Amino acid sequence: MAQIVNMPKEGITVESCIVGAWRKDIGDAVAVDDVLFEYETDKAAFECLSTAEGVLLHKFYEPGDEAPVLRPAAIVGAAGEDVAALIAEGAEGDQSGALDISASRPDSSSTIRDKDDANLGSSFGSGPQDTERRSVSDGSESQGGVMAAGGGAVASPRARSFAAEQGIDVRTAVGTGPGGRILEADVIAAANYMAATGEAGRSGALDLGAARPEVSHTDTIGVVTPTDMAPDAAPADIASEAGADPTDAEYTDEPFTNIRGVIAKAMVASLANSAQLTHQHSFDATSILSMREDFKAADEALGYGGVSVGDIILFVTSRVLAKHPEINAHVMGESLRKYHTVNLGLAVDTPRGLMVPTIFGAEKKSLKTISSEVKVLAAAAREGRISPDRLAGGTFTVSNLGATGVEVFTPIINPPQAAILGVCGVTERVRKGKDGQPEVYSSMGLSLTYDHRAIDGAPASRFAAELCEALGGFSWRALALDRKGGAI
Amino acid sequence: MTKSLFVDPKELSQKSEIVFQSIPVNAYDKSVADVRTDFGDEALVRIYRDMTILRAFEDMLSKIKTQGSYGGVETTYPGPAHLSLGQEAGAVGQAYALGVEDIIFGSHRSHSEILAKSLSAIEKLGEDALMFIMENFQDGMILKALEKVYKAASVKDLAIHFVLYGALCEIFARENGFHRGMGGSMHAFFLPFGVYPNNAIVGGSGTIAAGAALYKRVNKAPGLVICNIGDGSLGCGPVWEALNFSAMDQYHTLWEDRKPGGLPIIFNVWNNAYGMGGQTRGETMAYDMLARIGAGVEPKQMFAERVWGHDPLAVIDCYRRKKALIDQGEGPVFLDVLTYRLTGHSTSDQNAYRSKEEIDAWTEVDPIKVFREGLVSAGVAGDASFADLMAETEERMAKICGWAADTELSPYADFEKDYHIIERMMFSNGKEASFGDGEPMFLAAPDTCSRAKQVSEKNRATTDAEGKAVSKLKLFNIRDAIFEPIFDKYKEDSTLISYGEDVRDWGGAFAVYRGLNEVVPYMRLFNSPISEAAIVGTAVGYGMMGGRVITELMYCDFIGRAGDEIFNQMSKWQAMSAGILRMPVVLRVSVGAKYGAQHSQDWTALCAHIPGLKVCFPATPWEAKGLMTAALNGTDPVIFFESQRIYDMGELFHPGGVPDAPYEIDMGDTNIVRKGTDLTIITIGATLYKAVEAAEKLSHDHGLEAEIINLHSLVPLDYTKILESVDKTGKVALASDACARGSFLEGVARNITELAFDRLDGPPVVVGAQNWITPPFEYDEFFFPQADWILDAIHEKLLPLKGYSPKTGLFTSVDQKRRAKAGV
Repeated sequence: MAQIVNMPKEGITVESCIVGAWRKDIGDAVAVDDVLFEYETDKAAFECLSTAEGVLLHKFYEPGDEAPVLRPAAIVGAAGEDVAALIAEGAEGDQSGALDISASRPDSSSTIRDKDDANLGSSFGSGPQDTERRSVSDGSESQGGVMAAGGGAVASPRARSFAAEQGIDVRTAVGTGPGGRILEADVIAAANYMAATGEAGRSGALDLGAARPEVSHTDTIGVVTPTDMAPDAAPADIASEAGADPTDAEYTDEPFTNIRGVIAKAMVASLANSAQLTHQHSFDATSILSMREDFKAADEALGYGGVSVGDIILFVTSRVLAKHPEINAHVMGESLRKYHTVNLGLAVDTPRGLMVPTIFGAEKKSLKTISSEVKVLAAAAREGRISPDRLAGGTFTVSNLGATGVEVFTPIINPPQAAILGVCGVTERVRKGKDGQPEVYSSMGLSLTYDHRAIDGAPASRFAAELCEALGGFSWRALALDRKGGAI
Repeated sequence: MTKSLFVDPKELSQKSEIVFQSIPVNAYDKSVADVRTDFGDEALVRIYRDMTILRAFEDMLSKIKTQGSYGGVETTYPGPAHLSLGQEAGAVGQAYALGVEDIIFGSHRSHSEILAKSLSAIEKLGEDALMFIMENFQDGMILKALEKVYKAASVKDLAIHFVLYGALCEIFARENGFHRGMGGSMHAFFLPFGVYPNNAIVGGSGTIAAGAALYKRVNKAPGLVICNIGDGSLGCGPVWEALNFSAMDQYHTLWEDRKPGGLPIIFNVWNNAYGMGGQTRGETMAYDMLARIGAGVEPKQMFAERVWGHDPLAVIDCYRRKKALIDQGEGPVFLDVLTYRLTGHSTSDQNAYRSKEEIDAWTEVDPIKVFREGLVSAGVAGDASFADLMAETEERMAKICGWAADTELSPYADFEKDYHIIERMMFSNGKEASFGDGEPMFLAAPDTCSRAKQVSEKNRATTDAEGKAVSKLKLFNIRDAIFEPIFDKYKEDSTLISYGEDVRDWGGAFAVYRGLNEVVPYMRLFNSPISEAAIVGTAVGYGMMGGRVITELMYCDFIGRAGDEIFNQMSKWQAMSAGILRMPVVLRVSVGAKYGAQHSQDWTALCAHIPGLKVCFPATPWEAKGLMTAALNGTDPVIFFESQRIYDMGELFHPGGVPDAPYEIDMGDTNIVRKGTDLTIITIGATLYKAVEAAEKLSHDHGLEAEIINLHSLVPLDYTKILESVDKTGKVALASDACARGSFLEGVARNITELAFDRLDGPPVVVGAQNWITPPFEYDEFFFPQADWILDAIHEKLLPLKGYSPKTGLFTSVDQKRRAKAGV
């Protein structure tokens, strides 16, 4: 009896995945736990293991297709078995899957509603309506308005049909209707915004009168997939028209990967929706560089061998940040949500693009713990095996480009976080020494980008200055004090 | 109420007593031999023959229903068979004495009356007239079918077969039925022979027959009206309303035609001792002798009499005397005609309520048997010839049964080929400026009516030529806009009459008719008793006779008192007659305000729910005049809703105000009273003005322009403009004063959702009154939709308004669900 192998669900927020290469072909023998195919979410890559034994009889998806989770992905059974009925069933499931996705996700305010229900008195006056209305921007799991829409806000039929007519992804809009419902006006606003910012996938300001060519939407969760972005004519055609060897083409078009598309949108949204500026600071790195040398030389049994300069910076940042909740915060549109725990985001360069795994509760973790966690997380991110849930929830991000020799940069905030710290490389600087003579020292630069909507220049500078002081004075003594619970 | 009749305390305080006259019971005491010369043998034999036809017809139905065959024809039908076997003498006797122009109404048990009256008409009509009727009725369809299978010996013979075949096809639901099978057994009437609708609602014919008699009296039409009802119907309120309505004092005290009595009608009660299984005398009623009721209605006791209905000669004698009375301008008459049905109420009746002994005793006095014995003993003919006559009748009936059962000769309506058969019958959609031939009757030249003059001088817009606001007293308002077309129609259509509670001297409780009594005679404008069933039911009878009538229910809440008359009678007769009857009846219904729970309800949804009624509810003078004009030019029943909140309202919306000249608004059209692009507000009734207030707030406070569409027509309703507006705005709120649950607007909202789903930016939201009793006026703002409620609805369901704080919690999902669960 043939069995269906479902698309696994990776992380609670994942609704669908992009299917990658198949490791098995139709007719190949398959054992339980054999890898059938690869797939990736918008944040990580995985392998789908077979849950059945036999022969691969049917693939529901080709590489590049988007597959809803917990829906049929493959059929495994005896060779020659008739699986037409199962295929039909699978296709039906696919449809209902699409419907599921369009429905609103479990609503965090539902418990509040139930409570209101019980003590609801008169319908008049200041009634339950205040608590029932949900703030549109409320949702810490969201990555700003754009992503929030993709995650589950519902669009009106009019907004949907208008978006379809115009070839716009309805989930790029921020809903302003009741309960965050996306209205037609929201789609128009999103389209015009994208046209103005030139975001990938849109072209030109929205001409409400003219019909636009349809972009075929294979995605169902609000992410523009690579196939959507394929140019109409293949480069090869252009090249051959010119009479040249296709391999000598002047350029090649490389479609954005899924993750690239997400990054693109998130970056534009971040810049568009907040007031970002960057302060440059520096500190005397002599001490931490000598500490790094000490660690390398220390007895292996102490376990400090792998602690890098970057780890030290993360460690010290977590301590200083804990004293500055106004920086360790999310900007919630009309309010600032100050966090009392430091969930430190760590920007990691991966072959798929930028990823930001999170060290939860960093302010309570030791230098050694932070150091080893960083290694595990970074490796997982690079290999594309990190759980999507570890890629969310940060309260502040550190982006370390020091190893590349960057002297100054302007990191972009990861919304809804209020700030991000860029770590630059070490430069040799000259200063006036104790005896008035010039002296050379190792200086490290810090670039603090913050959201001026929520944070003014003075507090941002105070935080940066305090951080510089703590880093400049970092020592074994400070480390010991930290372990005893004293200030560094 | 009239000043010409003095209520005199001196007279009323005198000691005296009420004296009743004796009421004859079975007074007729002649034998066949006594009257043989008067009648002639031919007539006496024909009376017997007619009785055998009636007997054989119902015997056939009984056998078809119980055995599935008759005379070798295998057939049956699923509909009812309420038989009157044993009651034939009364039906034949009654019909014998009636002229063609006399008309009968019946009950669910009326086959015999229908056939007897038809046979009587055939006997009295000339051959040319009979051929004309048969050739033209339903375009000759029935006759053509009949001629395929039957070669008649004479025109009268053909006509007898025509009647039996047409009636049976009607019972069998065939297209060759008198009304294409749409009426069935309980509605197998035939107008050309004076057979008017028989009615499946017990007592339903009471008020309708009275209305037909009203038509005859007002329009001086020849003939009288017979209301055939059963003893069981004497328990029904509307029948008592009809008795009083027919006998009102004003007919002889105030009406201009100066007759001594009331309406030309005979209430013929077939007293067969049972209302279904309930025994009227001794169990369910209190009258002991049914004829006694006449004495309780009016001083002349309705010329009441009890007649032995098993003797056709006794019934004929009685009818001859009563008809003469009515010819002298007397009436109404009340007859208690004793009879007995030998079979059950219907073919499923097990006779659990009566003994075999009783049935046997009545079988002994079976009228066919007794009358035949009388004929034989008087020497009219030998018994064998009557036996032959009976056998001949039965043989003929078997043939007719075969024809009607044959689906090729007598096909069913083909819905698969023509899906719209009944749809076309629901409304006549006619235009008739006038139903009358004569000069409309007035007391004085219509132009002398001071109210009409005053109305014609009023300002038809809310601002005058200089743009200044017009004072309320000089403003042409909704009250005037209803008055004007009615007054015009009074001048145009001599058949137009109007009545209701306090419509004459008072001018209607809300003064719409004020001043009409200066020129319109009592006969055309009169106060009815407080009898809502009779007000509507008589209008139905008047309308089906071909007269135009406009009646009034003072408050919408009184619809309950006229439920059957509105829902089963006014609405249904056009289609049940397959379009032969028309129903030019306008029923004005006033939706109250200020008078609490039983005087302030908008029941448009109830009327709109019933198929066959046109329903409108104007909310501006322009709408009111245009719709009333359309209603009064039409041929369909119209429930014309008005709101007491806005009778004084001038025309605020229509450019140039209300035109002087007559004009019609297409019923079904909608009225865009305010243009807008951001959202659509749809209204019914007085709530229009709350919506205007809401639209002004939306514009002023939120920069949103609402389009307001008023639905002045509910049935029919053209969605074109509504959908165009929704296409533009995507957002719809709907508001009316009706309680929200099950309101008409809920259906409109559903239709918009279905028809424009992909154009909607949110769910159409209905703003209705609370599902409560209407509280005293002091709490109006908590019960009826307010402008703020409309804003709340928009804010909660369609478009959050910046900086807006809802005034109620009515439109939150939580409260919506809570209220539904609590049933409020």
